[in-house]
Amino acid sequence: MISEEILYLPISELSKRIETKKISPVDLTKAYLDRSEKLGPRLNAYAKLTPDIALQQATAAEKEIGRGHYRGPLHGIPYAAKDLLAVKGVPCTWGAKPYAQQVFDYDATAIDHLRRVGAVLLGKAAMIELAGGMGYRFASASLQGASKNPWNTKCWTCGSSSGSGAIVAAGLAAFAIGTETWGSIVCPAAYCGVSGLRPTYGRVSRYGAMALSYSMDKIGPLARSAEDCARVFAAIAGHDFNDPSTLPIDKAAFTYSASLELGARPPRIGLLTNAWKKFDFAAEKVYVSAEKTLRKYFPTARATTLPEGPWEDAAGIIIGVEGAAAFRDLIRSGKVAELTDPLSQIAGYVNEQIAGADYVRALQVRGILQRRMTELFDNFDVIVAASQPIAATPLEANLETDIVFPDPLGAIGNLCGLPALSVPCGLTDKNLPVGMQFLARAGNDAAVIQAARTFQQHTDWHRRRPKLV
Amino acid sequence: MNENKQRYSRRDFAKKAVLISVAAPIAGAPVVASSTILQPSSGGQQLPNLPANFPKLSDQSRVEAEQRHGAILAQYGTRFSNDQKADLRRLCYVLQPSLDKLRSYPIQNGDSPALYLKPTVEREKKPAKAAPVAAPAAKKP
Repeated sequence: MISEEILYLPISELSKRIETKKISPVDLTKAYLDRSEKLGPRLNAYAKLTPDIALQQATAAEKEIGRGHYRGPLHGIPYAAKDLLAVKGVPCTWGAKPYAQQVFDYDATAIDHLRRVGAVLLGKAAMIELAGGMGYRFASASLQGASKNPWNTKCWTCGSSSGSGAIVAAGLAAFAIGTETWGSIVCPAAYCGVSGLRPTYGRVSRYGAMALSYSMDKIGPLARSAEDCARVFAAIAGHDFNDPSTLPIDKAAFTYSASLELGARPPRIGLLTNAWKKFDFAAEKVYVSAEKTLRKYFPTARATTLPEGPWEDAAGIIIGVEGAAAFRDLIRSGKVAELTDPLSQIAGYVNEQIAGADYVRALQVRGILQRRMTELFDNFDVIVAASQPIAATPLEANLETDIVFPDPLGAIGNLCGLPALSVPCGLTDKNLPVGMQFLARAGNDAAVIQAARTFQQHTDWHRRRPKLV
Repeated sequence: MNENKQRYSRRDFAKKAVLISVAAPIAGAPVVASSTILQPSSGGQQLPNLPANFPKLSDQSRVEAEQRHGAILAQYGTRFSNDQKADLRRLCYVLQPSLDKLRSYPIQNGDSPALYLKPTVEREKKPAKAAPVAAPAAKKP
């Protein structure tokens, strides 16, 4: 019998027990499947469970480990993948009705990498339709309906990796794979009180993943800790001949070893003072306290600011145009009307009208911003801010009118393809998680992992878990 | 931070991706009518008032927003309900401040767009075929 305590253990602990045969991968997989079958539907967390695949992979892992062939820290570890990653023979709906019957006959590269290291696929995580690429007004913009936050089921998980956040927070899997174009890993990680890594653009192959914004989409893990994210990232990062946007072999690959960090120079930390113009009082109180803690362990940390400019506008134009191009057939055929959300049904028509010259201008602005951020990272290795200026919002909130605030950091980080890691840094008076995010220069994913891991070595917010009845 | 930026910005990209703010059902103007009525004020005509929750735009930007709306209706008009047409018009206005801000941002001719393209190369080099020996070609201009 595997207890809830075990299901909430980080990968680093689970893997030790699996390697030493104290936990059976089959038993662990069955326990996660049982919990997923019980709690998953209540949270709208999964698009589909894949018990046959899971048990086959877990059995294979158990046999291999029994023969002394241990593949590494993800061997026998169960996970879920956002339902925009192709898994051979399994429906891949992209969270959207027009693609409800879609099945691919190959695995996405990220899925293939995880299979090679022995991870166990439990199922496909629910998501916002088309990863929100056509805009959306309500949390319910998904084939599965609104994903409910395990910390308070009247609240949302955030999107678009909505199911991935719920699954990790509810202890339905050891980790989950999400994607981010603008905020879709960082925000669910923050709302759900889990750790989420948005890797540098181009480090993780998108082959077999739904394309929304060719120049901004990234794939990354949500897990229990920064260290767990690093271990998953190490498995999925790497150059891929099937994805021309991946970085060269020596720049894409990532190797993680906890011991390597011990000799590393402490990162120079910049505390951003203008990341959020509007801050909810309860979330700000939590973040300010967490920042004090951070200063204890990074005494040289000092305040800094983001450059000012039309970064959000540029990011919005680029995503809008690339999304309209990616789903042009859907728009032109009129099938976009089958999407759930009233905004999703019409927004693509507007984005399709944006002129090519405006798109190129947005790319020029991106180039200028990259130079500005390079200058900022000459002085800092890592910059830090709250992941979101609020905690999880009510399920029924209108995202257009009720929750509106500037997000220059999200725009900058995603426009420039910068790595970011969000970790839980406290709970509000209403027992909702608040996140702290670490960003670094493109390619310096190790720095955000190191900084976040240091924070987690001195705090226990990442070990807290919601009370699910 | 100006009002437009606040309206534009969103918590995650979906909300930020161009389309945001305000929700007030208004009658969708037919394409021809809207482009006929709305001329820059230099033309001497007064532009009609917009709902308070539309972003404030210059006359020129309003014309552009209306033209965008008109183009959508011209191409796809039969697909939409009246409410959707009205919402589309609002979205066309909401998009405009972002375009205006981008266009007013100082850019030099030499500022290259940050579009990364890696040419596809052959994975394995095939042995080059010997070039055929060609007869001396007649000189061409």
